[in-house]
Amino acid sequence: MTRGEPTALERFINGILPENPVYRQLLGMCPVLAVTNGMKPAMTMAGATAFVLILANIMISLMRGLLKPHLRILVFTLTIATFVTIADRLLAAYMYEMSKQLGPYVPLIIVNCLIISRCEICASKQDVRVAVADGVGMSLGFALALASIATVREILGSGTWLGLPVMPGFWPNWGIMVLPPGAFLTLGLLLGMVEWVNQARAKKAGKRE
Amino acid sequence: MAEAPKSRNFIGQAWLVILLALLYGGALATVHTALSARIAENKRNETYSVIPILVEGADQSMTAEVSVEGQNGKELTVYRVLDSGGHHRGWVLPAAGQGFADQIEILIGLDAEVSTIAGLYVLGQKETPGLGDYITGEGFRNRFRGKPTDRPLVVVKSDPKANNEILALTGATISSESVSGIVNRALANLKGPIRQLAPGGGEEQDEASSPADRQGETGP
Amino acid sequence: METLTGLVLIFISAALINNFVLHYFVGVCPFLGVSRKIGTAFGMGCAVTFVISIAALLSWTLTYFILRPGAPLPSWVWAVAGGNPATTVDLSVLSYIVYIFVIASSVQFVEMYVRKFFPALYKSFGVYLPLITTNCAILFACLEIMKHLQDPMRLWGLHEALALAIGGGVGFTIAISLMAGIREDMDICDVPKPLKGAGIALIVAGIMAMAFMGFTGVQNGVETALSSLLR
Repeated sequence: MTRGEPTALERFINGILPENPVYRQLLGMCPVLAVTNGMKPAMTMAGATAFVLILANIMISLMRGLLKPHLRILVFTLTIATFVTIADRLLAAYMYEMSKQLGPYVPLIIVNCLIISRCEICASKQDVRVAVADGVGMSLGFALALASIATVREILGSGTWLGLPVMPGFWPNWGIMVLPPGAFLTLGLLLGMVEWVNQARAKKAGKRE
Repeated sequence: MAEAPKSRNFIGQAWLVILLALLYGGALATVHTALSARIAENKRNETYSVIPILVEGADQSMTAEVSVEGQNGKELTVYRVLDSGGHHRGWVLPAAGQGFADQIEILIGLDAEVSTIAGLYVLGQKETPGLGDYITGEGFRNRFRGKPTDRPLVVVKSDPKANNEILALTGATISSESVSGIVNRALANLKGPIRQLAPGGGEEQDEASSPADRQGETGP
Repeated sequence: METLTGLVLIFISAALINNFVLHYFVGVCPFLGVSRKIGTAFGMGCAVTFVISIAALLSWTLTYFILRPGAPLPSWVWAVAGGNPATTVDLSVLSYIVYIFVIASSVQFVEMYVRKFFPALYKSFGVYLPLITTNCAILFACLEIMKHLQDPMRLWGLHEALALAIGGGVGFTIAISLMAGIREDMDICDVPKPLKGAGIALIVAGIMAMAFMGFTGVQNGVETALSSLLR
């Protein structure tokens, strides 16, 4: 490793905020929009994605020395699809209600670009320790992003958070927030907000110099 | 002669993929054998747990699955509902159709003579929150209770007068119409075949006694 | 006649009412990524429609004959191998893996075929083909078809599967072309700096989704109109 690859700790921290998969890399938009109408489905989704991401990272990292470059993507896809099937069966067996509510979005984890990009960028180049740290960090970042959108949508749209009522009784539920348009609007505005904070910080740093 | 190095080359290139395929296949087979019974149980419970809501006096453990060929020629599973004494109480049929936003899946309970609707339950829907999703509420579902099966249901916006009229939900007429449409279609398709399964009168006694016998066998 | 009405309803539902992008959120990545110019957006839409139809054809065939619970082929093999005839052979645990490879190989196949036989067509949308493998819209269509084949109550035929796939592809094309048209005009607008790029695109998509919500409930009218027309 001549070129300095990031260490385990750097990978872990990068995943949470500096390289947040949703807000900075715009990866995995489909579940981010589809399952964030409540905290419960969003957290289940984050858990399932974390399960697949971490296990796929470990597997790929373990066999990184054996990978043929042109068969790389095939092996990644095979690994991811297997773990997604296992996650899907586990959900159906132990959280049937949730699995029914998430419906096709659990199998759609297979085509979540986040996982394949992590396999390609990190797991196929670095050892298991780093791969696990990267998987956990990215999963936390993904969960954080899902949680932020789900919080806004559930509180405004149903007046609850994780199913518990949080808004006063006179609060009129904004039905639109739990419907598809609410997903696009919330994510658009949150992205704008994150970008605004970043630009403000960059400006401050620029002034100081 | 040229075959051998070529095939060795192929194995050399692909042995990892083949090995992984076998490994993952094994893993999937294990997961499937371990969990499929539980998943099937979950799916079954989804229907069975609401049967007492649909048909009064029903005992879930006594329900039997019956295969029926509908008028459209497709084979369907319906549920014959018995009470704890083994007496025939009615039928539960699954039905589905397009709602206002997405598919609506319902279960329809019928009385023993297939002459009135005994109950209705919504298994899955994605109607507008705060308007159409009230179709899952008891208030709306009870509007179907006791309606006749011989005439199609009609959704009305003011007080229902005729026996087969259903009061629509305020602001969700289309959702209400979708549900009654699903009921009408399911009844038109399955009413006749189910009636043939259960000829009334004396024969029903025979049918009712056989599951009771079965229970006697498995009981102790 | 009932079948035809059913097909039209599936098509309209996939294209407009439950639009793949604006209702199910599948294919959002290309929807945001390849929607800067109307020409390229339309090319992408056509490529997706093309691949989605082929993937639907293959996945319906595989699911119907091999993967669904109690499918004919494995049942026959099971019976020949001397297995207990009472057990239902269920290979659906393999579905996801099979689908993803069906999609990947049909993308490859379509690319080669189009390059060889339709060079003009390849020039217009061939470049987008490799990108499509990770487009969730195609896997989503396969999954919807699988859902309908597992449920004996509404066992779909091939024609219904194709109606869904083509409807979904057309819906994707409509959404991405409209989006590109709006974004072309937005280039000359004064968008707040933090919202530039993905932010404003998502907000526009939200407003489009609201407009598409107007289609919900259309199917009852369409059904009545069709049945009176065909009578």
